[in-house]
Amino acid sequence: MNEFVTRDALIKWAPLIVLVVLVLVFALVEPRFFSVRNFARIGISSAPALMVAIGVTFIIIMGSIDLSMEGTVSVCAVAFAFCFLALGGTLASVAWLALPLALLVGAAIGFLNGLVHVKLKIPSFMASLAMGFVGTGFALLMTGGDRIRVEDEAFRSLLTVRWLSFPIMCYVALVFLLFAWFIQTRTKLGRNFYAVGGGEELAHSSGLNVNKVRVLGFMLAGVFYAVGSLLAVGRIGIAETATGSNFMFVSITSVVVGGTALWGGIGGVWNTLIGVLIVNVINNGMVVVGLPGYMQDGVLGLLVIVAVVLSTDRKTVEFAK
Amino acid sequence: MSFIKKFIEQEKINRRNFLLAGAYGMGGVAAASMLGVGPARAALTDPAVAWSYRNRTNPYWNEIVSGGEAFVESLGKSKEFLTHLINEGSSEKSLSDVKALLAKTNGNLALAIDTNDAPNARPVVEAVAGANAYVSTLWNKTDDLHPWDFGDNYVSHMSWSDEGPAEKTARILLDAMGGKGGVVHLGGIASNNPAIERLNGLKNALKDYPDVELLDAQPADWDTQKANQVMSSFLTRYGDEIKGVHCANDTIAYGVLEALRAEGIDDMPIVSYDGNPQAVDLVAQGKILATVFTNPHWGGGITAALAYHAAIGTFKPSDEPNEHREFYGPTVFITPQDAADFKTSFIENIPTYDWKDFWGPSNGQIIYK
Amino acid sequence: MYQLRNVDKVFPGVHALKSVDFEIGRGEIVGLVGENGAGKSTLMKIIYGAYQPDGGTINIGDKIVRFQSPRQAMEQGIGMVFQEQSLIANLSVMENIFLGYEQQFVKFGVINWKEMAMAAKAQLAKVKLSIDPATITSKLSFAQRQLVELAKVLTLEERVEGELVILLDEPTSVLAKEEVELLFSLVRELTSRASFIFVSHRMDEVLELSDRIYVMKDGEVVDVVSREAADVDSIQHKMVGRDVDKEYYREQKQTPYETDAPLVSLDGVSLGTKYREISFDLHKGEVLCLVGTEGSGREAILRTIFGLDTPDAGSVSIKGEYVRSFSAQAGVAMGIGYVPRERKVEGIVGGMNVYENITLSQMKCYSNGGVLRVSEEKALAREWISKLAIKTPSELKDCGGLSGGNQQKVVLAKWRSGGSDIILLDHPTRGLDIGAKEDVYDMVRSMSADGVGIVLVADTLEEAIGLSHTIIVLKDGEMQKRFEGAPGSKPSLFDLVHYMI
Repeated sequence: MNEFVTRDALIKWAPLIVLVVLVLVFALVEPRFFSVRNFARIGISSAPALMVAIGVTFIIIMGSIDLSMEGTVSVCAVAFAFCFLALGGTLASVAWLALPLALLVGAAIGFLNGLVHVKLKIPSFMASLAMGFVGTGFALLMTGGDRIRVEDEAFRSLLTVRWLSFPIMCYVALVFLLFAWFIQTRTKLGRNFYAVGGGEELAHSSGLNVNKVRVLGFMLAGVFYAVGSLLAVGRIGIAETATGSNFMFVSITSVVVGGTALWGGIGGVWNTLIGVLIVNVINNGMVVVGLPGYMQDGVLGLLVIVAVVLSTDRKTVEFAK
Repeated sequence: MSFIKKFIEQEKINRRNFLLAGAYGMGGVAAASMLGVGPARAALTDPAVAWSYRNRTNPYWNEIVSGGEAFVESLGKSKEFLTHLINEGSSEKSLSDVKALLAKTNGNLALAIDTNDAPNARPVVEAVAGANAYVSTLWNKTDDLHPWDFGDNYVSHMSWSDEGPAEKTARILLDAMGGKGGVVHLGGIASNNPAIERLNGLKNALKDYPDVELLDAQPADWDTQKANQVMSSFLTRYGDEIKGVHCANDTIAYGVLEALRAEGIDDMPIVSYDGNPQAVDLVAQGKILATVFTNPHWGGGITAALAYHAAIGTFKPSDEPNEHREFYGPTVFITPQDAADFKTSFIENIPTYDWKDFWGPSNGQIIYK
Repeated sequence: MYQLRNVDKVFPGVHALKSVDFEIGRGEIVGLVGENGAGKSTLMKIIYGAYQPDGGTINIGDKIVRFQSPRQAMEQGIGMVFQEQSLIANLSVMENIFLGYEQQFVKFGVINWKEMAMAAKAQLAKVKLSIDPATITSKLSFAQRQLVELAKVLTLEERVEGELVILLDEPTSVLAKEEVELLFSLVRELTSRASFIFVSHRMDEVLELSDRIYVMKDGEVVDVVSREAADVDSIQHKMVGRDVDKEYYREQKQTPYETDAPLVSLDGVSLGTKYREISFDLHKGEVLCLVGTEGSGREAILRTIFGLDTPDAGSVSIKGEYVRSFSAQAGVAMGIGYVPRERKVEGIVGGMNVYENITLSQMKCYSNGGVLRVSEEKALAREWISKLAIKTPSELKDCGGLSGGNQQKVVLAKWRSGGSDIILLDHPTRGLDIGAKEDVYDMVRSMSADGVGIVLVADTLEEAIGLSHTIIVLKDGEMQKRFEGAPGSKPSLFDLVHYMI
């Protein structure tokens, strides 16, 4: 190893290297994988997951964990759909108000989540998991188990209109990724997340209101879950209780695979982008290379472990729990 | 938001019944087992009616239970008369709930149940027979468990074989493809019996279409989003080779349609299964060529009705032929020609069924392979 | 029977033990005294196997031994009774006693609890403790737990052949006077079973119990005295007796402080068992040193001034304002900066870079509506990097990668750049090398010259005397004596030690 390739640099870039290697391997096995059209498909499946994963990234940087995403996404999706249809059902009318409303709903759920965690002193793991169940139940209550179709062409242009081969939803996700990056690097709140995750005691003794930071963190995560839910509805045109399912696994896995440490303080939204792409490339690639269905879950699990091993600096971890 | 209030009230009542049942349970079970199986009572008077199932989140089970509710309403009782035993996918919970309810009602019970998995059917049936109550099962039971081995207490079992209907929709699909080209299948959870049967239906049909190739079959877990991703991956791998899509159910078809829509493809032949209202609309628009309606509403109602009427002595199960005790549920094919009719008669107006016509719409005795 | 010869131990930057000779005979009680940092704990860790010496030999009898772990040392009969009690609070007494040695009670994979309880009872009898071995440990008093610890170590008697050596590390620190007496008589009786090495800050206790006393200073054994020849004064002299380098502590730069309008004023402040009836004023430019042994209440007083702990009684005023609600936020807002002892835990956020650490407590001043003005932050950081000569490649360097002294400077820069004029320093030089220490002393002097009031808990007594205008000696949470320390008329070490112990 020469002086240009230090261990630190290697650890920093490892997730990206894993992603590139995966893409090359899949492309070698099946050349059709390596096409702009397929990348657009990966982009479509990644966009909602990326939003949810960014939300939880902030929480994980704080050293907490949020497992409420499935419930929150469902509630936001269903609330959006009801409101959108009630207000006219097209973006050309006042129904666009349903978009900010969904974000508000996400923030409100996050706020509750944070409050339960901080005020009742329940570990974030448990508080958010419980809140997630409440959310799923509430979404079911609202829909009565039905699916709500959102057919508006203008809203569905998220999926159907393409610029440079990629649908609009990919660009929306990109804009929110940049916004998240801005929060991470340029705002007090973002800085506070790292301070709380890196040393809660110290953050406290530097005069930070740690509880406030936590609650704000959960609210911000809720907003990103809501964005994710909007993209998920845009992708399949249906809002239902099941809209949120699978997001927990995909988002947490992506964050970890991307190299953000579960104990807090390390990582960021670009790591999460790479993590989400790794998970989705694996998912897409396995079908594209024709791996039998019964092997896919097992292979996905194995690849995730390999990706985590390669992309996190486990030397800094004394004990994994 | 009156539906929320209603739902909560209903849940409250169930919960209360249930707590009572639990409190009462221990003593009741002990008493019943001490007495053993007493001399069979000829019939029950005004038995409680219960439906035991997974949960209501799933639209399919929602339909089943709404049939059960329609049935108790036909008896002149309120919806709340039907006791809901929710097993949330746990066979243990399913069995213990049944035992608690048997204890509470002292055996004065007509039970409709899906036992969550096949092996759980036997202990449930034995518990019910032991308490001299009446049970009808739906979907799950082992092949060696038969109603006629339990006298009158195990009234009936209903199930569906999806292989035949799935084969029939596959033929509609393959014909629409002009009998040549590639077809892909998106299945349910790989180990689910209906998922296996529906894929087998496609394979059976393919035998008569030598020019059609089954390009790939992948599980989509009955899930719209997963189906969406799997379909877009299929498009990468097979591109224009795909001339038709065989979906294991309607939820999968929705995801497939959206994946195709993202690529600007809107004339792909697709068939699905289950006959959900939304899918029926899509059939009417010609976006799906065919789906199969299994009438879960009737299935849920008639299962409860069979148990109830056997319990009050309307008919004596042991006097009925075997094909009246183990039979297939109804299947209705929906194609663009009849989708509109179907919609008016089944969706917009829920038909009023004669809940004493136990076997009219059924589909013959269950055949074991 | 147990001997160390020429034992050396070097840590990066510190020569912790320098050619130490040590021996203990059968049934002997040996005392070990020295200041903090004199090398006592390193020596003990080598004896019970937690550290391996870099040079020299260890003998048991005629045999040379080498321990890779405390477990190996235990198998040779060397046991340790820990100062911070090592019992697991939610296990029962017998489980604790046989922790790691349950195998002897296991039959067919199942623990025979009855047998274990009997065996535990026998062990407890050795220390005259009649409690049910199944008691959950957290239910016991501190004194009882100390005895359980001792009983646990005494199980070695059955397990090893040969003699036992038992280390007692500050066993009396949490005990009441009668309990200490009890423990001592027990230890004397137990000399028939084992030899003891006794470490304590309380000189009178060491003299009372020990047959011989090793005096350590700066990693060396400076004297070994027998009980008959020992007296407190001479031992203390040997412990701390070094020519105090006046330049070292920058005494020539010490300027008188302003006596009007105190920055901090404590009046009869008490907090639980930590400290009682503390009253003093801190003025502009004053360096006030709190002196006392571990647990004398020094740190707790700092935490109260900063706002982390709320006192039960008395009043605290900051800059003439009576403090009603105690919180760190309020403390920071009043211009108080706190530099805690463990920088890794509370001083800097590892993973965050230099400028992020510096502005952590004052992000409000560098943001508009929550959006940070990063370029200003960086400029501030560069300014302080040059002002304090912080050795870092740039303000973008991860603070976790800096040396201890530079981390300390970053922490000071954090508070000073934010305009804090009351600085609380808890062991600011702990673990630093000489050069870095001198940097810190320089900073203390320059802050003092700028009119900053400093409350200091020093690492050594010399440091306290050298740096301070005022010294307050604490013992067991109570103020003993106040010394004025103008240059030339500073109190001596012996003055302080007299009130500390």
